[in-house]
Amino acid sequence: MSAPAVTWTDAAWVRRIVRGRGIWPAVPALLYVFVMLAVPLAVLFAFGFLTIDRGRVIPGSFTVAHYQRILTDSLSWLLFWRSFRLGVATTLLCLVLGYPVAYLYTLVGPAARKLLLIAVISPLLTSALVRTYAWLVILGGRRGLLNTVLLRLGIVDTPLRILNTDWAVLIGLTQVHLPFMILPLIAALASRDRFLEEASANLGASRLETFLRVVVPLSLPGIAAGTALVFALSYTNFIIPQLLGGGTYSTVAVKVYEQTIVILDWATGAVLAALLLGSCFVLVLLITWTANRAMAWREGTR
Amino acid sequence: MTAPHVRLQGIRKAFGALAVLRDCDLEVEKGEVMTLLGPSGCGKTTLLRTIAGFVVPDAGSVSIGGRDVTLHPPNRRSVGMVFQHYALFPHMTVFGNVAYGLRVRRLGREEIDRRVRAALELVELAALPERWPAQLSGGQQQRVALARVLVLAPEVLLLDEPFGALDAKLRQAMQVDLRQLVRRLGITTVFVTHDQDEALTLSDRIAVMRGGVIEQVGTPLEIYDRPASTYVADFVGLSNLLPGEVRAGRIELGRSVVLPTDRTGRVTVVIRPEHLAVRRDEAGPGWPGTLTFVKHAGATTEYQVDVGGPAPLRVLAMRDPGGDLLEVGDRVRVELRDSAAWVVLGEGARP
Repeated sequence: MSAPAVTWTDAAWVRRIVRGRGIWPAVPALLYVFVMLAVPLAVLFAFGFLTIDRGRVIPGSFTVAHYQRILTDSLSWLLFWRSFRLGVATTLLCLVLGYPVAYLYTLVGPAARKLLLIAVISPLLTSALVRTYAWLVILGGRRGLLNTVLLRLGIVDTPLRILNTDWAVLIGLTQVHLPFMILPLIAALASRDRFLEEASANLGASRLETFLRVVVPLSLPGIAAGTALVFALSYTNFIIPQLLGGGTYSTVAVKVYEQTIVILDWATGAVLAALLLGSCFVLVLLITWTANRAMAWREGTR
Repeated sequence: MTAPHVRLQGIRKAFGALAVLRDCDLEVEKGEVMTLLGPSGCGKTTLLRTIAGFVVPDAGSVSIGGRDVTLHPPNRRSVGMVFQHYALFPHMTVFGNVAYGLRVRRLGREEIDRRVRAALELVELAALPERWPAQLSGGQQQRVALARVLVLAPEVLLLDEPFGALDAKLRQAMQVDLRQLVRRLGITTVFVTHDQDEALTLSDRIAVMRGGVIEQVGTPLEIYDRPASTYVADFVGLSNLLPGEVRAGRIELGRSVVLPTDRTGRVTVVIRPEHLAVRRDEAGPGWPGTLTFVKHAGATTEYQVDVGGPAPLRVLAMRDPGGDLLEVGDRVRVELRDSAAWVVLGEGARP
């Protein structure tokens, strides 16, 4: 008697997919993501390795010259450093500004909660572009809204120069990305067990100590999610630095836009985009890995 | 006589329009285990939380060890609370949980280490200091919660339904352990439960609560033998509540059952099921009726006899292995076994 033939359909993972009907409803979305995201990304990465001869891309060629050129150029390192700095600063600012809002949300009654949530979400209903233009009006020059008010009130003698600086970009990035920090924080904080805070008080801890030793550590999943989101979005944003940073201001993302859309140097654009995306991915992984290490206690619950 | 260790005077608390506590007075002696017993919604947990400082009463005062602490915040009271679901910090190990209060007090590393180990030994968890709470069984979690407060040597220990989350068998073992531990430490303890068996097992005295009012305070035996109201009689243990009327200092019940009393008017007579007996012969004093229910539960037998009243009489007897087995439908007579074992409640003067 011969042993029954083992075919590839016997593999556990294949059976799981075939039998697990749960996958089929997700197929349209998976297909969409594959066609609209994975394929263009692959094309983009490919462009970074193709030879370009007198402005014409040569299909089937392969070179690492573009990477060599860009990685040895100190200007690109400067751009990456600026993007990174902006991403970190925006994330920290969003965390510092967003945490109290999320915490407040969990302390107030249902009506105030609704109002807060509307206040947090409503900016998402207008396009980030429009909001960024609004910052142009507010921060812009001598006759901008901010300077007019400050001068009238006599708070400053000479108009502040904010527009076209790092500060303007930071303000814009923070405003646009704040909801992405607040929402995960609300999710983490609203589900917390209030008895833990009572237990902490019962054991002698002040409100501040309870907050630092119990509330904040237990909201780490929300902090991690918000941090990863805001960092990824602000690190790679190009509209806000472009508009609020002024004509000569540049980040990696802005440079990618210029190279690809304006200068039509697709190879340089592709290499910078690949490096930006890759580094962003690594940094986000680093954030989640660090957070997971700090949340070792959750292992026990699984 | 020394002042009570914990004294609650005229405590009132309302949440919105709902009065949760109405004028509660309670005194707990040093080293005593006091139980707040009552159904859910009777205010027992709110009263406990008032002692802990999580609830600030609308009126009245709380004093601990002779000091008025009514307005002291929870973290300024020497009161250790074990929460219903233990409220262990999930992000700290067993050691971290027990060390929490000591760290907050900024004690030295060595002292913390020594005291945490001693506390864990006390609750027999010395082997598991590095475990996360989620890795512990319910009973172990409860012991961590206990060690976490005992390590601070509080003046008063508060326990909010500490056995509610445990299964029946473990519950009994933990009750005995806790009783021995608390007695050994001699710590003043206030304990909340809705379970009368638990209250009878653990307490020196019981305060029976109902609708925000303390109905009766007494030792378990006082509560059981001399309930102050039909509510208490009904809540603690099984009882037969028989309505009657006093005529010339006597209540007449059933057939030739005459009880003397110094009360007057309409009264309720409380008779515990174990103070009644079932006889096959129908003649004689008592209540003739029909047996409607028999349950042989090992050592005891429970009967219910329809005597024509609103509710059947419940009778609890030691089982007689060689005796006459009565069956449902038999005509029987219920007899008052012990003429001292009854309580009269109602209007008029108290005995």
